[in-house]
Amino acid sequence: MAGKIKQLIDSIIQQRTKDNPMMAGVIKTKLALKGIDPSKFTAQSDDDPVVIGKLEAFLKEIK
Amino acid sequence: MKISTACSTKGNITDIVKDIQDQLGNSGNKLVVFYASPSYEPEAISKAMQAAFQDATVFGCTTAGEITSGKMLKNSVVAMAFDAEAVKDVKIAVIEDLKDPNGVEKAFATFEKHFGVPMLDMNPSRYVGIVLVDGLSGAEENLIEKIGDQTDVLFVGGSAGDDLKFEGTSVFVEGKSYNNAAVLALLKPGKKFTFVKTQSFSILPEKLLVTKADEENREVLEFNGKPAVVAYAEALGVAPENADSRFMHNPVGLVVNDEPYVRSPQRVNGQSIKFYCSVKEGMELSLLESTDIIEGTKQALNDAKAELGSISGVIAFNCILRTLELIQKQSTDDFGKLFADIPAVGFSTYGEQYIGHINQTATMLVFA
Repeated sequence: MAGKIKQLIDSIIQQRTKDNPMMAGVIKTKLALKGIDPSKFTAQSDDDPVVIGKLEAFLKEIK
Repeated sequence: MKISTACSTKGNITDIVKDIQDQLGNSGNKLVVFYASPSYEPEAISKAMQAAFQDATVFGCTTAGEITSGKMLKNSVVAMAFDAEAVKDVKIAVIEDLKDPNGVEKAFATFEKHFGVPMLDMNPSRYVGIVLVDGLSGAEENLIEKIGDQTDVLFVGGSAGDDLKFEGTSVFVEGKSYNNAAVLALLKPGKKFTFVKTQSFSILPEKLLVTKADEENREVLEFNGKPAVVAYAEALGVAPENADSRFMHNPVGLVVNDEPYVRSPQRVNGQSIKFYCSVKEGMELSLLESTDIIEGTKQALNDAKAELGSISGVIAFNCILRTLELIQKQSTDDFGKLFADIPAVGFSTYGEQYIGHINQTATMLVFA
């Protein structure tokens, strides 16, 4: 399977930036500092369970 | 609307606090932030500062050197006071044990109760956070990551120092002193604010991919599938035995949108490299090369001034490694003069916080 990481990253950025596009850079930096560089993932990227786990934990914080 | 600063190098706590009180005045202060040399007994200086400014919220920490308008100091106490127009509201929370997995949640519950707004809904252009943390705890990454996960409000800050003795650092809150702790302050400023993050490095083309790391212990075992020290030395074109002599001049950085988040090597450990902050497996790091700290900082302050129109106050967190470089180059006076016309207070830190935990950087909170 592929593409789930990109999907989760897009979802986090969308939820956290709300109507403030300036926040997108901050959220991308937060992800990069967690070891997940958003620019490295595409819809074709493999579904790495470790990365997916980190992103799901982040998503849980904002629910 | 008033932000004022004070500094004192009097010989004892009683005289110092009296001196600072005389400079700041003891009425009309909503918030007092202070940074103290570790040469003063932590519990006593915290208690005396709170007693001197009874009506204000008072917090601070120990340092590895102090900064105030126009000067870099040693063995001093520096302070900044805000009146109720400059800071409309402020709430402090202490995380008394950095190992407490719910420390940030508890602190944020305090803020939510005080301000009546969920942390995730707080507008980051109306609220700002300051974080001061025990500089020997090694806990900064988890702390700042948790903070960042749970709010869009930006927290800027520094890790407390102890004049490079590495024996004990303290944070001060409302008359008490804490170790293995962090103080979080959430401010609702009465004026516009912005941030400075300046690291005075150019980004070199050489890349080091972290292929094996002991993240908990801030140690990289392998870059690019090779022993860390070998790969680092190859990237620089030096012999592995000379690698550590280049650490200060050539740290590495996680580059996001052309902005490096510096990770500074501390020492060689066998064939691994210990860092001053955590480096995660899978991170692609760029080799960095130091540039002029004075020029870089001057430009960053000018940019902040251009953004805000004017600067009425700066709280600065300057990495001790930058301070050591300034001392080596006999440039501490020049650095201090960058703040000559600006009410400024700050200290030399054991780590800086802005979005993440970073090294060899100056982070600043700048008020219009």
